[in-house]
Amino acid sequence: MFKVILHTQWKWSRLLIAASLVAAFALPILTVQGFGIADPTVWEARSILRAAESRSVWYAVLAAGIGLLLATSVWSADHRGDHVYALSLPVARWRFVVLRFAAGGLLLLVPVVAFWAGALLASAALSLPYGLHAYPTALALRFALATVVAYAVFFAISSGTTRAAGVVLAIVGGLVVVQVLLHGADVDIDFLQDLFGRAVSWPGPFGVFAGRWALIGV
Amino acid sequence: MNNAIEVVGLCYRVKSFEIHDLALTVPAGSVYGFLGPNGAGKTTTIQLLLGQRRAARGQMTVLGGSMPRDAARLLQRLGYVPERPHLYPGLTVTEGLRYHAAFYPRWDSQRAAELLHRFSLEGDQRIGGLSKGETGKLMVLLALAQHPELLVLDEPTDGLDPVVRRDVIAALLDYVSSHSATVFISSHLVHELERICDWVGLMDRGRLVAEMPMQRFKNGIKRLRVTGAPAAVEDTPFVLLSRESAGVGGAGEVWVVRGWQSPMQEYFTTMGAILREVVDLDLEEGFVELLRTFRGLDSREA
Repeated sequence: MFKVILHTQWKWSRLLIAASLVAAFALPILTVQGFGIADPTVWEARSILRAAESRSVWYAVLAAGIGLLLATSVWSADHRGDHVYALSLPVARWRFVVLRFAAGGLLLLVPVVAFWAGALLASAALSLPYGLHAYPTALALRFALATVVAYAVFFAISSGTTRAAGVVLAIVGGLVVVQVLLHGADVDIDFLQDLFGRAVSWPGPFGVFAGRWALIGV
Repeated sequence: MNNAIEVVGLCYRVKSFEIHDLALTVPAGSVYGFLGPNGAGKTTTIQLLLGQRRAARGQMTVLGGSMPRDAARLLQRLGYVPERPHLYPGLTVTEGLRYHAAFYPRWDSQRAAELLHRFSLEGDQRIGGLSKGETGKLMVLLALAQHPELLVLDEPTDGLDPVVRRDVIAALLDYVSSHSATVFISSHLVHELERICDWVGLMDRGRLVAEMPMQRFKNGIKRLRVTGAPAAVEDTPFVLLSRESAGVGGAGEVWVVRGWQSPMQEYFTTMGAILREVVDLDLEEGFVELLRTFRGLDSREA
């Protein structure tokens, strides 16, 4: 059963997977362009680190993008048919959802492995000055985790009903409106920033997207 | 198991549409025609029966098991053709068959291959590129090849051309006759069901108007031409569905009655009227008359 679900998932997402494979492989290589200085000054070493850090935001963006697009593609065919086919199959709903999640999750391995290969290749091609190191495997693990988190979140949203998505949107919109009203009334409470900070810092669910992502560090 | 489907006190509501206290019995081995005009609630009832929607109240027993509690187990023994194409359009026919087969332990590959040939479907065609008729045939193929004990067909021939319709009906009848399966088939094409069904249920506005063996339905509903009947009639031995003037060129009145039997002619003599003619109604005419009566009663109650 899993095999056929994986096959259908592959058919729907293969273009997306191919594009994400290319992007994930190329990104680490592109982000270290211009870092290969054999004997840099302290100032140059610092600027390499700063540049590496500023470019690293693209790793998180790519991880989130791949997770989002793959999660959306998982349910697209079922959404088109109002889920009638899935609901008519002799399998418990929770099991079908788990199988779909697992099939999509397995396909995430393709861009993750490509990213790892790209990071290894980029690291090997660099001649870093003394004191700087490349962390391709650690970065690839972080990329994998971020991709899975993004995939899981968007999978949950995508597998819900339109009504559920509407409720989520209404809650988020309501919080923004309340914050704007508080701000307009000169009340010094910024709960949105506090919520955002908690979500993206450890142990928040999106903590993996924040912090250091650089391939090169000290 | 005497009945393939038993429904008691089924209630469901969505927006302004309501299914109210629905009771339905489909005898095992029967071909049950589930009739009703568009919007009567046939598809909703089927979706409730299959566990695709959750009822507010009521009990549903399908193939001896409780729905929706045992849905995953019962759906293995049940073939379903929905009203609208539901298959994944990006797959080829062969991939669609392989996908479907993986969920059904009793999948009959040989039968699938036979039906593929019989329906002139090509394995490498994309499902999304099939014509309406080909898609309809593929859905019936999938339902039949999984070797079901119960076939639930929601308007399976709606929109198909007569040739495809005949092919589909023939394949269904072949299967039913060789496997003693039960068929629950919904349609608003009354004349089509008249040929194949042995039970009939009529639904309108979320309620079951009538349910009876087809023979009784066909025999029991008559159009009578009557002259000399008094304006008010009481204690009729049959159910008087409608009573109208015979119109231009006709004499007397036309009565449509249910539960008619020949000895009831005496009734007209006793009230001083003359029964001129008794005409059999076909299923479609009977269906229309029943609906008309039901809607008349319904509006009076409202």
